[in-house]
Amino acid sequence: MSEEDKNRKDPPLESPEAPAVDREAQKAEAQAAREAERADLEKTKAEIREKKQAIDEASRARIEEAVKRTEEIRAAARERSAEEANEKEVAEEQKRISAELKATIAAEKKRAAQEKRIVELTTISATEQAKLDQNRECERTGDFTLFDDEAESRMEARKHELAAFADRDKAPDPDALLEVRHLKMYFPLKKSLSGKTLLALRAVDDVSFKLKAGETLGIVGESGCGKTTMGRAVLKLYRPTGGQIFFDGTDIANFKPREMRPLRTKMQIIFQDPYSSLPPRSTVGGILSEPVKVHKIVPNAEVKDYVMQLMEQCGLRDYYYERYPHEFSGGQRQRICIARALSVKPQLVVCDEPVSALDVSIQAQIINLLRQLQQQMGLTYMFISHDLSVVKHISDKIGVMYLGSMVEFGDKKSIFSNPMHPYTQALFSAVPNPNPDVKMDRIVLKGDIPSPANPPLGCKFHTRCPKATEICKHVAPKYREYEPGHFVACHCYPQEDE
Amino acid sequence: MEEKKSSHYLTGKEIRAIVKSNNKIIRVLEKKKHRKAQESEFVSEMKDARNILEVENLHSYFFTDQGVVKAVNGVSFEIPQGSTVGVVGESGCGKSVTSMSIMQLLQGPYGQIYDGAIRFKSYDFKRDAQGKPIPIYEKDADGNVIMEPVTDKKGNPKLDRDGNPMTEPKQKRDSYGTRQFEMEEKTFDIAQMPIKEMHRLRGRQIAMIFQEPMTSLNPVFTIGNQLDEVTLLHFPGSTREDAKKRSIEMLNLVGIAMPERVYKSYPHELSGGMRQRVMISMALAGDPRLIIADEPTTALDVTIQAQILDLLRELKERINGSILLITHDLGIIAEMADYVVVMYAGRIIEKGTASEIFHHPMHPYTIGLQKSKPTMDSETDSLFNIPGNVPNPIDMPNYCYFRERCSGCIKKCFGDYPEMVQVSPTHWVACHLYEKEETE
Repeated sequence: MSEEDKNRKDPPLESPEAPAVDREAQKAEAQAAREAERADLEKTKAEIREKKQAIDEASRARIEEAVKRTEEIRAAARERSAEEANEKEVAEEQKRISAELKATIAAEKKRAAQEKRIVELTTISATEQAKLDQNRECERTGDFTLFDDEAESRMEARKHELAAFADRDKAPDPDALLEVRHLKMYFPLKKSLSGKTLLALRAVDDVSFKLKAGETLGIVGESGCGKTTMGRAVLKLYRPTGGQIFFDGTDIANFKPREMRPLRTKMQIIFQDPYSSLPPRSTVGGILSEPVKVHKIVPNAEVKDYVMQLMEQCGLRDYYYERYPHEFSGGQRQRICIARALSVKPQLVVCDEPVSALDVSIQAQIINLLRQLQQQMGLTYMFISHDLSVVKHISDKIGVMYLGSMVEFGDKKSIFSNPMHPYTQALFSAVPNPNPDVKMDRIVLKGDIPSPANPPLGCKFHTRCPKATEICKHVAPKYREYEPGHFVACHCYPQEDE
Repeated sequence: MEEKKSSHYLTGKEIRAIVKSNNKIIRVLEKKKHRKAQESEFVSEMKDARNILEVENLHSYFFTDQGVVKAVNGVSFEIPQGSTVGVVGESGCGKSVTSMSIMQLLQGPYGQIYDGAIRFKSYDFKRDAQGKPIPIYEKDADGNVIMEPVTDKKGNPKLDRDGNPMTEPKQKRDSYGTRQFEMEEKTFDIAQMPIKEMHRLRGRQIAMIFQEPMTSLNPVFTIGNQLDEVTLLHFPGSTREDAKKRSIEMLNLVGIAMPERVYKSYPHELSGGMRQRVMISMALAGDPRLIIADEPTTALDVTIQAQILDLLRELKERINGSILLITHDLGIIAEMADYVVVMYAGRIIEKGTASEIFHHPMHPYTIGLQKSKPTMDSETDSLFNIPGNVPNPIDMPNYCYFRERCSGCIKKCFGDYPEMVQVSPTHWVACHLYEKEETE
């Protein structure tokens, strides 16, 4: 060790002059490169500014035109009213016209802002472009020594946002009860003094899927992968950071809590822990009749009958009406939770690990009840669980999440017969098989799930993936459809159309 | 409805009577636990020399103010040396209480081992007349004890009064650098052992891995500190350096990548899987013969669970120990266990080898339990479910506890609680259905 140290120290002692010059030259070079980059950046900024100004002018012109047109219409209306002399009608018409104008202006402004953002995203400085070109070159040759991870991740973020913009104006799928597009849910961890988020926990990062009425979507993944957060964001229990949520054809992502209230009868949630999700001070009857009364599902006089009928449906005896939650076991409490969720006749029910706190024999009861109710009432479930065998039993479609992103999505059959993503394969092989004679060749993943505040670059799963290659460490795989309805994000499969 | 209420409701007078009678029993049992006992009082003999643990007719009760909860009510099973025994059952069936009884960790004074025997074949220090362990010294070829100089903490030789370097006989050390003592095999009856004597076994001969790694590590001490404690307590004569060396070896053994760093960190800095690994290494540090794993993977994810189960299986081979695995997941049992014990409401209803239980389950409850769990291969539309709930643990009925939920009841089921019936050399079941076959 000591000899090596000496060797390392020796050369500068022998020729102290030559490297000094080198260093000077290097410094100058670096300085020049930095300056060039800065100049380039300035140029790009100027370009963006110009483009933005053009957009501003165009939109101003359009607004002025709209104002002029409105004035004309207004004048015409005034003339007409002078002939007919009906003041009331005139006033109403004027009001309508000004409201229309306001809406047009607002839409125009929004459009301009969006266009500006797109310009910002699409205008790339020359140095950045050079870096990206180099990255592509690296990818082609398979030599990643010169790969610029930062530029790649910046580009990745841009691409995501552009994709979200591109999909923004598409009409929702008429068949789907729930359609989620590019949903993002970030929780701020650090904020600057001005309130700007510096570091965010990306609980859900760009998730998209569709769910038809009457279907069950199973979401699986490890704890901390964002499945519960996604379930809650879909119900607007959190305010999503970005993306769109179409429920029955309307985008509810930016609805205010007051606007959400009528929709609450259509979407409900069953929580994981039946011990902490029931109010200890009210009776079962009180718990179940409160939502019915608040949302006026049935006339007040019929509430008790309605609740009794509901209790019977959910397998609760009628004399439980007067009892308190602490008198019940876990399975019975979960039945109460289910009855409470169903009391407002919802269409969509998010089941957030409804059986994981229960015993095996009780689990079966609850799962059967959920299925039976689905058939009776035509419910749509989003079933979140970490127990794969339960998810397999109940779902029609399955989404596998890892670290905030959907890594695989598809029909139950295609996912179970042909799991494509290595994470799905590992997850499936990790489920213990209750047959002592079958020895499974299991894929054991090394290590733990990384922190969602600081996810790995490239493919998020590459730190634990048994099939990871060099490209996985740098480039994020595309989320593509390989079989009809079967989406996977993995470099093991072709990334481009052939 | 009125009747139902009355069975739940106790008057103050009744409660006072219960408390009084409870206290009487508790006092006797507590006294027994804290008595000073000679070793002969709790040393006993194994029935079968191949077993490492024999639990016979164990009764563990909780003396509550509402009445006596018979959490474990006459449980008998044995663990053969080098095998894994799995205990399955729903929550509240007494599987955890059984394991706590084996460790004598029942929450006193209300929880007590009331009756029964737990015989454990320990590999304990041989003791001299003063009760001190006898060290093994290294000998040279001629059979003379090798002497080594005594050093202080800094490594300098210690001198005696005359200025000569002090020497002491060189004690044998194992591969981890822990001092060796003469050992002997002894069988203890844990149910009769006073608490003070239990310290010999707890953490040393029998180690336990608890369900929640989050709550069972002390948050204010480093991992190293907590791991060292095991060595310092159980291996006499070991220094802090010895303990650290051994702890790091143990962390290495459970597959922790950077043991030095983990050694210095606090529990909150580790993930769930890592904490469970630390718990396992802590259990291994005492060089135990029996590891009780009480739902070791329930709080963990499937992928981490696979890691931990792999680790446990591998370690069992390496330390040549036995595992008592307690879980409610039949899949884990099928994968890990050689023998399976199925418990229901404080009693064993079926026991046998793993393949017997999984391929020829006898008891309706076992059958139901297996059918009600959806598996990855099954393609059923609706799951089988066992109706109803576990009966109230206070005042259990005297007929079969499973009668209300059973689908295959016969006339005999309205009689007494069924005895254990032997259906094959290793397979036992407590059900009237099979009794009848035998008598006919």
